[in-house]
Formats: sequence, structure tokens, C-alpha cells
Amino acid sequence: MSENATAHQDDGHASLIIDNKKLLMWLFLGSDCMFFGTLISTHLIYRKLYPESFDPTTLFSLELTSFSTFILLMSSFLMALAVSAMHKGELKSFRRNVLGVIFFGLIFLGCQVYEFAHFVHAGLTLSTNTFGSTFYMMTGTHGVHVAIGVFWLICMYFYSHTGKMDAHESAVDVEIAGLYWHFVDIVWIVIFTAVYLIEFI
Amino acid sequence: MSEADYHPLPIAAESNKNSETEKYHTFVNLALGLAAITGVELVLVYLPFNEIFIFSVLLSLSLFKFVAVIAWFMHLLYDKLLLTLAFGTGMAIATGTFIALGSLISRSNVDMDAITSF
Repeated sequence: MSENATAHQDDGHASLIIDNKKLLMWLFLGSDCMFFGTLISTHLIYRKLYPESFDPTTLFSLELTSFSTFILLMSSFLMALAVSAMHKGELKSFRRNVLGVIFFGLIFLGCQVYEFAHFVHAGLTLSTNTFGSTFYMMTGTHGVHVAIGVFWLICMYFYSHTGKMDAHESAVDVEIAGLYWHFVDIVWIVIFTAVYLIEFI
Repeated sequence: MSEADYHPLPIAAESNKNSETEKYHTFVNLALGLAAITGVELVLVYLPFNEIFIFSVLLSLSLFKFVAVIAWFMHLLYDKLLLTLAFGTGMAIATGTFIALGSLISRSNVDMDAITSF
């Protein structure tokens, strides 16, 4: 077999390979979809059963939530750029973008803490009613996901300074962290519409 | 290994850089589009239109944002079909659970007194 034919065969084989870590992350995200699916379903069903129990429009600030949504969408954009930079081997660009993602993630968490503090101050706690229970459970779980994502990216940022980053392995690792971050973003897209916006119609 | 020793993959050479540059423009356009849609959603809920119309538009816009992030930012559009299936299965079960619970549980077929007596 000629060298070209062997190379071609290798390319064909490579195109069929899926990185195990990447496949596992997609499977995890699929299972996390079910997890958030049940949390969001529970919230909406209790809203349907007890529509009179609480009027969230008196508490919700759509401007703040829209700002949080915008921040998270822009962090997703920066994460996509960070993954792209890593594929190109541009470590400095990767670091810059990851710092941006971390910064936006912290702003989102800050907005959520402010929102929760405001709600608790207004009398809505985890045990006030079914709305409080399902709302805090769902948005809190999402917040924990964001916090884990921020922690993961901070670790990755510092790791990039150790000089141990291998081009192939690290590109896949960054891509996986990116998948997780984007997933957190799409969950918020659903929560923003299904939990916040719908209440104002 | 110092930063100066850091080298991308051999295959991540010129062609890879070009494709990443193309993706950059797609990402910028998508980010602008997603930001604009979020703005439209915010304004829409305050407009005095029919509730069903607003609900349908919000649902469509949200679905578009959801799919766009998965397809482009998460690279599923460029990746293997198996990954779409892995994620799609979870999504299908989550959506099925949501639809089933939503249609099974309503005020008419739930004993509200039994629930509230706790």
C-alpha cells in the first residue's frame, strides 16, 4: 500500500473517532437535561395547580433578569472564542477569553444572590409556599451549576500558567468545559422564558 | 514546558486556522442575534397583544436561542451524529416528561383537598 493510501485510510479512521471525554460529557448533559426538565416541570405544574398562591410579578424584576440573560449569553460567546483560540493554539487569547467568561459568570452569580436576597427580604423563602420551594430549588440548582462552571474555568486559567498544557489534550479539555458552560446557558434560556417572561403575559 | 514551547496540533495548521476564523464571524453574528432576541423578548411581554400570540412568539424565540447555542456555540452542527443522539435522547425524555406531567396533572384531576391537608 502506498504512503498516500495509508494516510488516507488513517484520515478515514480518524474521522470516525469520537473522544471518550467528549462523548461522556454529552451523555452527562443529556442526563442533566432530564434533571432540569423535572425541576422546571415541577415548578410549572405547581404554578398551574396553585395560581393564586403567589403573584411573582410583584417581586420579579424583568430588567435585572434580562440583564443576567444577556450576561450569560455573552459569556457563552466568549467561551466559544476561548475554545476556538485553543484549537488554534493561541494560549494568550484563550486566557483573555476565559477571564471574560469567569468575570461574566461572577456577575451572573452576583445578580442571582442580589435577587434571592431581595426575595427573602420581601418574605419569599424556601418554605413560604410551593412557589418559593420550586423557584429556589430550580434557580438555585442552576446557580450551583454556574458556580461549578466558574470554579472549573478558574482552575483551567491557573493551569494554563503552569506550562503543562498539551495542545491536543487541552483543546479537548477546554472544549468539554465549554460544552458544560454552554449547557448552563441554554438551561437559563428556558428558565428565563418559562419562569420569568410567561408570568408577565 | 514553557509558553514558547507551546505548539498546536500539526493538523491545526493553516486550514484549521481559516475554519476557526470563519467560525469567529459566525459566533459574533450569533452573539449579536441572541442579544437582540433577548431585547425583543423583554419588550414583547409589555406590548398589548393577544396572550396566545405573545406566548407563541416567546416560545419560538426561546426555541431558536436554545437550538442556536447548541448548534453553533456547542459545535453540534460540526460534530458527529452520535453526539447529537446522546444529547437528543436526554432532551427527548425531558420534553416527554414535561408534556406528560403537564397534561396529566391539572386542577380537575388532582384532589386539591388531599394535597392541601398536609
